[in-house]
Amino acid sequence: MNDDGLDPLIHVPTRLKIVATLAALPDGDTLSFTRLQDMLGLTPGNLIIQLRKLEEADYISSEKTRNGSAQKTTVTLTRCGRKALGAYTQALRDLLGGL
Amino acid sequence: MNHTSDTTATGNGGAFGPEQAAALLDQTTQQAHRKFQPSPPWLLVTRAVMVLAALGAIWLSVRGQHPYRGPTAADIPVLVAFIVVNFAATVAVRRHATAGVSGRSRFSQGEITVLVLAFAAAVVAMAGLRAAGVDFATYPTSVLVVPGLAWTVLMAARANWRGLATGLAIVVIGIVGAFAGPAGAWAVAAAGLCVMLLGSATAIAWQQRA
Repeated sequence: MNDDGLDPLIHVPTRLKIVATLAALPDGDTLSFTRLQDMLGLTPGNLIIQLRKLEEADYISSEKTRNGSAQKTTVTLTRCGRKALGAYTQALRDLLGGL
Repeated sequence: MNHTSDTTATGNGGAFGPEQAAALLDQTTQQAHRKFQPSPPWLLVTRAVMVLAALGAIWLSVRGQHPYRGPTAADIPVLVAFIVVNFAATVAVRRHATAGVSGRSRFSQGEITVLVLAFAAAVVAMAGLRAAGVDFATYPTSVLVVPGLAWTVLMAARANWRGLATGLAIVVIGIVGAFAGPAGAWAVAAAGLCVMLLGSATAIAWQQRA
């Protein structure tokens, strides 16, 4: 945690946007890498780096599936990631006195 | 709406303050909800206006019929056009919203089959009852009851309370229509479905702003 109680893994604009976007889906739903990239306007390289950091912390999980020659990657927010975003939002509320 | 650029970040959170984070979180969440919404408020409002115009026009043409003979030949293309445009727009918007999404928020093949069968069963049952001389089988609202019930059950199974309310509203419109007479049922369908769609649009817009 930062001094202000904010999770440093989420408290980066790009990762905050990734987590918030995935949290807008119902629990357990997955989103394709390409749709997430399209929604956030990130380069594939940047998105991969940020997703890897979130996956290492078990905030998201990803799955690669192969359909013929095409490979599809899907990502989902884990229960741990949803809980972390909830705690982050609460920390923001506490800091700002209401979001 | 506030906009917070990525350029404010240093990568380790150094220049990214809580106010900016709150604004970005709020903005991203609202945008995501809008983009993932398979029934956006603008579509529901458009459908509400269309249903009021199409079914209202039919009611105006049949309300003076004594005895009731049903929609005229000129009304049928209006009704068919309404159904085709409505169906095409709904499918296109839903497909766009759920692109890349998989999981529970998408209908399963079984659920789609149940809905199609419910609608087909309603149409077949109404045709059978009409042939048997049952009055309310000729009412446009009667055909809504079975699919409305199927939708209600499906939404209850998914714990989707807004969807469940929509299903119940459709069932109520179907039942109320049965008491309105054959011509009056068109007015009940027009007004009832319009109000139901506007209600859904309001609820979704409210949810997206929250």
